[in-house]
Amino acid sequence: MSTSTPTATGSEQVRTVQQKLEQLRDLFADAPEVGRKALENVLTELKTQVSEPRTRMESAGRVGSRQGNVSELTIIAPFAPGGAERLRAFLQLLDGNFDGANKVGSLHDMRFVFLDNDTKLLFCTAFDGDWDPYIDDFVTQIPDYLDILSCGLEGWPGIRSPEVKDYLARHQITAEGWYVAHPDLTVADISRLKRVGQAVDEFLDKVGD
Amino acid sequence: MHLVDRLGGELPRSPATLALDDIQATVLRYRPEPYYGTHVMLRIDDQRAGRELLRNLTPYVASAAEWWRAGEAWISVAVSFTGMVALGLPADSLRSFPEAFRSGMAAQSDELRDYGPNDPKNWDAPFGTGQVHMGVSVFSDSAQAWGETMEMARHHYRRFAGITELSAQDFGAQPGDLNPLGYRDSIGQPAIEGSGVEPLPGQGRPIKAGEFILGYPGEGGAPLPMPHPDVLGRNGTFVGLRKYQSRVGTFNRFLREHARTEQERELLAAKLVGRWRSGAPLTLAPSQDDPALGADPRRNNDFTYADDPHGHQVPLGSHMRRMNPRDTVMTRLADVNVHRIIRRSTTFGAPYDPDATSTEADEVPRGLYFLFLSAKAMETMEFLQQEWINNGNFMDLGDERDPNIGLQEEGATFTIPRDPVRRRIHGIQTFNVLRGGEYFFMPSLSALTWIGGLPAASTRL
Ligand code: HEM
Repeated sequence: MSTSTPTATGSEQVRTVQQKLEQLRDLFADAPEVGRKALENVLTELKTQVSEPRTRMESAGRVGSRQGNVSELTIIAPFAPGGAERLRAFLQLLDGNFDGANKVGSLHDMRFVFLDNDTKLLFCTAFDGDWDPYIDDFVTQIPDYLDILSCGLEGWPGIRSPEVKDYLARHQITAEGWYVAHPDLTVADISRLKRVGQAVDEFLDKVGD
Repeated sequence: MHLVDRLGGELPRSPATLALDDIQATVLRYRPEPYYGTHVMLRIDDQRAGRELLRNLTPYVASAAEWWRAGEAWISVAVSFTGMVALGLPADSLRSFPEAFRSGMAAQSDELRDYGPNDPKNWDAPFGTGQVHMGVSVFSDSAQAWGETMEMARHHYRRFAGITELSAQDFGAQPGDLNPLGYRDSIGQPAIEGSGVEPLPGQGRPIKAGEFILGYPGEGGAPLPMPHPDVLGRNGTFVGLRKYQSRVGTFNRFLREHARTEQERELLAAKLVGRWRSGAPLTLAPSQDDPALGADPRRNNDFTYADDPHGHQVPLGSHMRRMNPRDTVMTRLADVNVHRIIRRSTTFGAPYDPDATSTEADEVPRGLYFLFLSAKAMETMEFLQQEWINNGNFMDLGDERDPNIGLQEEGATFTIPRDPVRRRIHGIQTFNVLRGGEYFFMPSLSALTWIGGLPAASTRL
């Protein structure tokens, strides 16, 4: 949603961009030859690009970033003993078919990565808006799936616990960099545009016959 | 008239499992019709005076016992967080209140999306200053009982030099009890489990009492965290007050610009809310108003959206459908039963004038003291403001906002689904501007007694 967040004024932005570029060049002075050269090659292009930003990284609540309507959530949490095995078996059963996620209606993608010999989970997702206002809805609507997915994590308090928001915030890390193709489009918008696109195609087919 | 009389003197009863005689009447008792009343905002400069006032006033604060069979006039008392501090509650009690309550509504403006014209810096005194410590409200169905009860309440708080009346706003007494934009209101309310009365037709299944009153299990199964000690929290609830100024000139101009005849205007006005001004829902009266239906509490809320999935009758983006989507299939997973609120809307100022179209008419004092009650009022208000009022994604409406209380940006739209093609109105304005707000705790009667009787020793923080 387009909430009014203050944006830096034009001149301020250019100034900070200048500073950022200078700092980058300083740091790349120590970079390997290939990196240093590469930076010089794209410097002018880069300068125009970052001077006219199309979106901004904003904060998505307590932790995480947001661009337009889309937010990112990255979590690294240790597995409890046996937790990795249980989660892997569950994910293999689903084999990429997350009907529960469809139901949530705000998830663009999700990724579960097992790190360091199955001792830690890296979980990444891009989703619309904020998730924490919906915690009560998750509790009454899909508590079991959330607990199955998360009960392998050390210290998981259970989705019904009042501690759950704190637990997630504690293990969440804000992404340093993040790209979204369409920050203005929610999952619902995309589905609607698909429907509209199909309808327009049908119409054009008829007209063009 | 009170609810029971409006329903013909009979209410299907169910077992009352809540401590009705400890819960304040306003939590459960519907606003009467006609209605009269006053909201008084008090500042407590002297802790001893504040406690003595509570001791004197509490015997007159009505309980919810037999809430459906109301007395003539009743008083409610609610205390803000700064009020709890002024009354010298023990430090661990103060700490046990939720953070959003402690910081107050004005400080939560980001979470509540209270920006631009709704920004707390544009609010009317005394709201958002931290000085509003106590809210005392009188409700009545007769002018005389209202006057007498107010007199009595005033007598109690005016006795103390250490207590200041910051504001006193009379409300109600509108022709036909219409709200400032000319609609009947206070129709849809949640049914509450254990409150002693069967759900009214169309109210849906009773919702777990813990959603509305502390100390009982909520929809998630567990009771919500409550302030302690137990006597302070149990049977209490949180109240949010939002003071809206209705921009009647802007509203009427909008209706005129987008509808040619009076009949079209009334239909557009109905599409914005989901009900005709009489209260008749568009689901039951899709093309023409039906005042008898609007006035009948047994029929005027007896519908679902099962036969109107696309909003051809009640637009998906209308105020009523946003605020209670009932069985609408939404694009985002949500449980409608965990975002319900008890509403006590109280209209103040000049009555709605359908012919007022000037910009001056926007600033004629006229609007709504909107009271919403919930065991998690702060959380629910944030949710509603963020997700269902100032956003449209949950109904697949992109950035579109609530046509009634949304904060409209330039070029904002309102979509009216129709066959074969929808109508999209461009340039909808903010019709109700926020001019004040506070969070209060509405303690149980035993909690009021407990606060009033706190030993002097616990007053040092
Ligand atoms: C100036 C401000 C407002 C006006 C003029 C207004 C007007 C109305 C009207 C005419 C109705 C339909 C009749 C009824 O069911 O009572 C309604 C319903 C409702 N409103 Fe408002 N309202 C205002 C503020 C709010 C606010 C701030 C909220 C919540 C945050 C809210 C929540 C609701 C709910 C929950 C319903 C009942 C929906 C249902 O159960 O179907 N209203 N309002």
